[in-house]
Amino acid sequence: MAGVNIDDVYKRYGSVQVMHGVSIDIEDGEFVVLVGPSGCGKSTLLRMLAGLEPISDGTIKIGEKVVNEVLPKDRDIAMVFQSYALYPHKTVAQNIGFPLKMAKRPKAEIDEKVGRAAEILDLTKYLDRYPKALSGGQRQRVAMGRAIVRDPKVFLFDEPLSNLDAKLRVSMRMEIKELHQRLKTTIVYVTHDQIEAMTMADKIVVMRDGRVEQIGAPLDLYDNPQNVFVAGFIGSPSMNFVKGRIDGANGTRQFVSEGGLVLPLPAQASVAVGQEVIYGIRPEHISIGEGGVAMDVVVIEPTGSETQVFARSGTDLIDAVVKDRIAARPGEKIGFHIDLSRVHLFDGKTQQRL
Amino acid sequence: MQSNRLGWILLAPTLVILFFFGVVPFFYVLWLSFHQWNPFALDPAVVYNGADNFRALVFDNGFLASLGVTIAFVFFAVLTELIVGYLLAQAFMKEFPGKAVFRTIHTLPLIMAPIIVGSIWKLMTTPSIGIIPSLLASWFGFDLNIGTSAVAAFTVTVIMDVWHWTPLVTLTLIAALVSLPADPFEQAQIDGANKRQIFWHITLPMIAPALLATVFIRLMDALRTVDEVLMLTGGGPGSATRYLGVHIFKEVFPKTNYGYGSAVSIIVLYLTIVACWLLYVALIAPRNKKA
Ligand SMILES: Nc1ncnc2c1ncn2[C@@H]1O[C@H](COP(=O)(O)OP(=O)(O)OP(=O)(O)O)[C@@H](O)[C@H]1O
Ligand SMILES: [Mg+2]
Repeated sequence: MAGVNIDDVYKRYGSVQVMHGVSIDIEDGEFVVLVGPSGCGKSTLLRMLAGLEPISDGTIKIGEKVVNEVLPKDRDIAMVFQSYALYPHKTVAQNIGFPLKMAKRPKAEIDEKVGRAAEILDLTKYLDRYPKALSGGQRQRVAMGRAIVRDPKVFLFDEPLSNLDAKLRVSMRMEIKELHQRLKTTIVYVTHDQIEAMTMADKIVVMRDGRVEQIGAPLDLYDNPQNVFVAGFIGSPSMNFVKGRIDGANGTRQFVSEGGLVLPLPAQASVAVGQEVIYGIRPEHISIGEGGVAMDVVVIEPTGSETQVFARSGTDLIDAVVKDRIAARPGEKIGFHIDLSRVHLFDGKTQQRL
Repeated sequence: MQSNRLGWILLAPTLVILFFFGVVPFFYVLWLSFHQWNPFALDPAVVYNGADNFRALVFDNGFLASLGVTIAFVFFAVLTELIVGYLLAQAFMKEFPGKAVFRTIHTLPLIMAPIIVGSIWKLMTTPSIGIIPSLLASWFGFDLNIGTSAVAAFTVTVIMDVWHWTPLVTLTLIAALVSLPADPFEQAQIDGANKRQIFWHITLPMIAPALLATVFIRLMDALRTVDEVLMLTGGGPGSATRYLGVHIFKEVFPKTNYGYGSAVSIIVLYLTIVACWLLYVALIAPRNKKA
């Protein structure tokens, strides 16, 4: 067990720079989730942690030890690749048992651990099969198995549940959390799945284009996103953004969008009249009722437990998610009530939180 | 239908040639091996003598000795070629200055006719005039004489074969290594495997099909080596390098003993098939069965 310390790490492929000074502190036993759009460098970062990719600049520490020059096999990390990376010529059982075999564990222990992993992963029926005779989700579970039979210093998971169906994903999510609680091993976990990120992480790292945008606890990122990117990335459905400026013509400050939509401002907002801002409000923080901001309904999408309402005013499109069923039809007028304590204001130019 | 007939028409010349130069001689040899035929003997008739040729071989010391040295030759030559070929292939997987030039030079022996290879090695190893004995003598005081020492002659034929054919192994293995996916190797490092373990558990099983194909080709070729050895040592000294091909050549043409020669040829063919079959059964079949 060990913490991980990533300090000002750069990565260049020839003249292409893909990592621009990434620093992340991961405490011993922490469950850290990396999120970010495709191509932002999540896999690259994991590969650098694993030692598969040399780092161009900076230092990586696992525990107290700088591991920049340490070979992957000596780092004592387990990793699940995005591409599974199964051994095609080995059976499922041999694949899962491979790390133990390399560590020269006794056969009985290997069999026992492989059997238990297979049970957890629902692979018992497939132990004698070769990877080519497995479905994508089954392969992914084999890759998981190869990691969980070990007791490494750090687990690295690169989208380990991306190919599983919804039900299996929920149960695997539980298994991973349970594994983490049992072993208390540091985990770095990459995912595209909002729910995975929010429910599993002690700490979420939001990345974009090889930079860290924000690091924080899931709810902290949800409540206090540092910039428009993080605000839009965390939360599903994502936050509404309206571009405009602060207007103070009739004494009270208001937000007026470029399209003329007027939205209320929280009283304590530290903005000046005339300032260009981006107004952010999450769909779930808008309620529907009499009065409020008048909008024209565009589409109503009931999902059963809740209803998503897309509404327009001029050129501005805003959506709300409410618990009640909405009887309105497209084209009708509807009133949006914005929860003022949940309004996020960002600078119009720097896109940073105000 | 139309294109099918056109296909056969286009194939016809090849099939005819294959038939006359491949199928017919094979059955002719098979047929001859059950006959006694010496066109220059007192009785030049082709006489059926059943399995006599084969029966005679079992008690033929010349043949048995030849079989023994052949097996030794094939074993050492092919094994060395595999090891050296693999090491070279691995070296060529890395980048180093002059790689392209070196790779080209290294494949040159492949394009040489065996008879020329034999001549070159004869020139290089002939006692008193060859460069190799001369250098060995002046550097190590070692007297290399392939005309008198059986071990020296045998070793030089093995080295010559290795020199000639290792590039083939290297090329096939480079192709096999290049086409390997990278991630099992990365995963193996993560799983804590060291270089030796990666070789035995990952690399070797993954290149096994290509490796085996190469072994088959080399085995077949080595079992019927004639011209290089004939040129270099003429099968000597004594019968130290009288490999089966050389044996057939020496037995059949001077003595015009065609029935006997055919029988030996059939045995060589049989040996080749058995060797390949054994390798296949031992290495490939169990895996296919499991899959
Ligand atoms: N060998 C390479 N040479 C040049 N650029 C590379 C190389 N490998 C990766 N990159 C670039 O590095 C960036 C980060 O890639 P990476 O695989 O880490 O993305 P990711 O965040 O894991 O994306 P995804 O979510 O799609 O898996 C990408 O823009 C990619 O094009
Ligand atoms: Mg990735």
